[in-house]
Amino acid sequence: MPPEAFPIEQADRAAVQAAWGRQLLLDGLRTLGTVGAALGVGFLITLLVSPRPFSAYAALLTGPLTSRNRFGNWLEDATSLALLGLALALVFQARQFSLLAEGQLYLGALVAGILALHLPLPSGIHAAVALLGAAAVGFLYGLIPGALKAYLNASELVSSLMLNVVAQRLYELLLTYWLKPPGAGYTWSDFFPGSAILARLIPGTRVNVALLIALGLALLTWLLLYRTSFGYALRMVGANPEFARYAGIPTRRIVLFAMALGGIPAALAGAHLALGIHQRLILSISTGLGFEGIVVALLARNNPALVPFAALLYSYLRVGGDIMERTAAVGSDLVRMIQGIIILFLTAEALAAWAQRRLASRRSTHVGA
Amino acid sequence: MSELDVLQAILSAAFLAGILRVTTPILLPALGGLISELAGVINIALEGTMLVAAFTGVVVSAYTGSPWLGLLAAMLASLLFAFLLAFFHLNLKTDLILTGLALNLLASSGTIFLLFTLTGDKGSSSRLASLTLPALDVPALASVPVLGPILNGHNLIVYLAFGLVPLVWILIYRTPYGMHLRAAGAHPEAAASAGLNVRRIRYSALLLSGLLAGLGGVYMGMGYLQLFQRDMTAGRGFIALAAVFMGRRHPVGTMLAALLFGVAEALANQLGNLRIPPQWVQMIPYLATVLALAIYAGVQQRRTTQRATRFPGGPAT
Amino acid sequence: MAAETPLVEMRGITKIYPNGVVANREVDFEVRAGEVHALVGENGAGKTTLMKILYGLEQPDGGQIRLRGQPIRLRSPNDAMRWGIGMVHQNFMLVPGFTVAENVVLGREPARRGLLDRREAARIVQALSAAYGLQLDPDTRIEELSVGLRQRVEILKALYRGAEILILDEPTALLAPQEVQELFRAIRSLTAQGKTVIFITHKLREVRAVADRVTVMRQGRTVGTFRVGEISEEELAAQMVGRSVLRVVEKPPPQAGPPVLTVRGLHYVDEVGRHVLRGVFLEMRAGEILGIAGVEGNGQSELVEILAGLRIPTAGEIRVDGRPLPWGDPRRIRQMGVAHIPEDRLRNGAALTASIAENLIADRYFAPPFSRKIGWMDLKAVRQHAQRWMAAYDIRAPDPQTPAGALSGGNLQRVILARELSRRPRVLLAAQPTRGLDVGATEAVHRFLIQQRQEGTAVLLISADLSELLALSDRLAVMHNGEIVALFEDLREVTEEEIGLYMLGLKRREG
Repeated sequence: MPPEAFPIEQADRAAVQAAWGRQLLLDGLRTLGTVGAALGVGFLITLLVSPRPFSAYAALLTGPLTSRNRFGNWLEDATSLALLGLALALVFQARQFSLLAEGQLYLGALVAGILALHLPLPSGIHAAVALLGAAAVGFLYGLIPGALKAYLNASELVSSLMLNVVAQRLYELLLTYWLKPPGAGYTWSDFFPGSAILARLIPGTRVNVALLIALGLALLTWLLLYRTSFGYALRMVGANPEFARYAGIPTRRIVLFAMALGGIPAALAGAHLALGIHQRLILSISTGLGFEGIVVALLARNNPALVPFAALLYSYLRVGGDIMERTAAVGSDLVRMIQGIIILFLTAEALAAWAQRRLASRRSTHVGA
Repeated sequence: MSELDVLQAILSAAFLAGILRVTTPILLPALGGLISELAGVINIALEGTMLVAAFTGVVVSAYTGSPWLGLLAAMLASLLFAFLLAFFHLNLKTDLILTGLALNLLASSGTIFLLFTLTGDKGSSSRLASLTLPALDVPALASVPVLGPILNGHNLIVYLAFGLVPLVWILIYRTPYGMHLRAAGAHPEAAASAGLNVRRIRYSALLLSGLLAGLGGVYMGMGYLQLFQRDMTAGRGFIALAAVFMGRRHPVGTMLAALLFGVAEALANQLGNLRIPPQWVQMIPYLATVLALAIYAGVQQRRTTQRATRFPGGPAT
Repeated sequence: MAAETPLVEMRGITKIYPNGVVANREVDFEVRAGEVHALVGENGAGKTTLMKILYGLEQPDGGQIRLRGQPIRLRSPNDAMRWGIGMVHQNFMLVPGFTVAENVVLGREPARRGLLDRREAARIVQALSAAYGLQLDPDTRIEELSVGLRQRVEILKALYRGAEILILDEPTALLAPQEVQELFRAIRSLTAQGKTVIFITHKLREVRAVADRVTVMRQGRTVGTFRVGEISEEELAAQMVGRSVLRVVEKPPPQAGPPVLTVRGLHYVDEVGRHVLRGVFLEMRAGEILGIAGVEGNGQSELVEILAGLRIPTAGEIRVDGRPLPWGDPRRIRQMGVAHIPEDRLRNGAALTASIAENLIADRYFAPPFSRKIGWMDLKAVRQHAQRWMAAYDIRAPDPQTPAGALSGGNLQRVILARELSRRPRVLLAAQPTRGLDVGATEAVHRFLIQQRQEGTAVLLISADLSELLALSDRLAVMHNGEIVALFEDLREVTEEEIGLYMLGLKRREG
């Protein structure tokens, strides 16, 4: 540990707060800069592959704004990613590495679909019940790796990755052998009755009330983390689990509930896809969305208030990529590659930012100290 | 097929031989994961490495007409891929897990991207006339009573995989390099103060693990199957890591854990004949892992409390 | 005696850390061949930094190092070792799970045909052991060795690499008086065979006992170099601190009350099966400081952790005010009025990324005034709480929102004290409360401990510093090998040497 007499102790309060404010701004700018750099690399690749790279990349960068339909795609994708980002941000704040969001998404979609198809209820209530069912199953599924970690100290990374596959297989199984109408050619369920569908918000798009739910959950999650005793305890466990235990915080219960609560937004993302977007269950309802949620949480630095913005940013690129594929015939795998590069650059940047922040906080903010 | 038929099939030599085949693409990345984990840098990108190696092996063997060139190219590709992980984590200090996940994403998308560019096909390389590595017929093995047909006739890489287990053991426990590895993982400061270059050790560990995972990938594309398919590794890179933990970070334990997964997978394939939806059966290895994880952790806990209760005068009030 | 040209010369060494602190300021330091040279100074004087530079662990921002008159550059420990400079750190750099032999040869393993030559490694260890009188069994696992023996392994490591100059960083910090004598004997044996020893310490008595010359450092500069025979301890202390230092603590006469915490027959067997506590009997009384002396590793840490609820005992009885201790439950234990100043404040005393305010409420956040029934927190109350206690305990920071990780050791300890003591505890467990703190911070901690004693708290003080224990304790127990082997009710007649005998198990009090 560096020697005594840290300058921060003599620093003027206003100066310190100003420094913190500057730092936050720099952080934000740097994040954007990193995304920009990754996009630059993607452009270089596009140059090599496409006969008309400029129009292809223009499609990527401006695509989501070119029509109402595409704009809707952007918002609907951002809704899913925001929900997933919230799920992971909550879990990461407790310093747990459960990646169960993907599996919870599948189960959420599954339960929402089953309730939509097999539990006739009047409209208004039907969708709400389906959503609640999804949330419940996400919560319960999260209890499994939570309990394994909290009470047996078993790696939540391993158990969550395994359980993701189990959830996905269960989804496929029930869809293929039960929910799919017999004799149908494709593996889809019937369309859900109108009473179970989530109301559309913007005509001509698939944007639905789940967007409002996502925003509401972002607010609720932020309040939970920063204004409740449970959230405080969760953050302390994430900051230093040994300290939390020493101070009497019930760490095991916190870890258990952190992973369970994280299941709620994740499962709702699945319900959103089922009830809002596709309005039925399809085989590949998620294409690794759960893992994309990790990037969103990373971009938002695990702060629920920033998750919607991070989701909007990231979704913009994803939708732009889809448009690029459709209009310029550049494979969607290229976009996935760009996403991989973004993650790489982001983790490099995140660490650089953190390191610089630590260094700066130790440097004197007092002139002439 | 009746239940009895299935039971007979399970106990047949063909099935048991099949276990060895199925275990190989889990065992190889597991050995790689073990080496990197011992050095303190867990390789989350085993999955991506395998994909890269499988793809490279298939494509190069198809275009050059030589499976050996395919193998060589695949090994080089694996090294390069592992080098990326090492560079980002050890030089740029990025988070190991996130970097690994990002590289897996890059591998999955990049291989399909290249496949599409080369063949116009987005699903598999079936249009390419890719080759396989040879199977070995060893008369000495074939003549072993009972086990002969199970042990003989496997692909070269299967023998390599199981043969590597004792070699890896020797490397870890009987060479100076192995000591360096374990020191770098157990107490990197002590290693540094002993004059060891921890970063270089971890680099080498990641490269070695990439090489081993690459071998597993090559086997998938040029032995187990004879083509490359989108995401054909199907999570074996992650099961390999589960095997390392289950094997208590020891080469023999890792091999046994990998065999366990192999048995589960082979069984799953057999039970498909009983008109059970394949998904039930596909779930088995994963559920087995979670169960094993729970049991293992539970046993650890009980051992600690047992020691307490066995004490005279206990438990405390 | 020593040759005229110095063996090692450090001239004008300057080192400034990134946080702006000047650790070394134009330091001149020289060592003669074959001598034992002590480097003394308070915490933060710059001694460790200087030696880290000599060992290649840090790079100086200015100055030059010369070995036998020749300028050299030390970019890493490898360079240092090549020049024959070896260092034994305060925190041992030994790999858990490895044997003595493996730890000694790590990095320079004897090998035959690519394989480790374990027999040769064992032989090397035995040869070095015999040559320097540092007995060790090559095949013992490091975990099974006592602290003093582990230090021997460290010395053998350096000798194996051909160290001619040995730097020992606070080597006696973890040793009992008799082990210290062993170490001094080893040092003399080393110099008799031509080695040179530099050792860093802040214990002046050691300087007198074994050193030939001593260099004093203060606030990053060298203050002077003296032959040990020519300067007294008081003068040395004055040089170190810049003022006359008297180890006197203002302590009102003892007024012990009724017993508050009783421990009977406490046994603890740890995860690896070691019988760490073997029937501990203790009684803490209100308004009294009960000190526990003992070499680290004899069960003191585990005892405190059990009392604080961080470990579960195997057998025995613990009662607070007659009620059984809910072992393993820190929250309920705290609610019974037990406070705990942990040994390792960075590990579990604080959350460094959280703010000071958040750290101050970690044990009470769930109750009013900080939280209401449904869990909603009152942030204003949290802030006011922080402001109040930051003032009361003189915690220096611009804002309660300052992250705890930005604070110095002494300041962080104040945060911990503020949190633990603001509850007006019945029992205070203070484990090594002044470790790593400078004189000013140490004095503050002592004052707070005495204050608690005056307010009727039963204080348990565990410390590796015998003089601190003797100054503060009303009664003093000695722990050895998991038992209380002595209890001194009257400290006026006891000497450090006598306590040392108990600490090493060479003497026992019956009953």
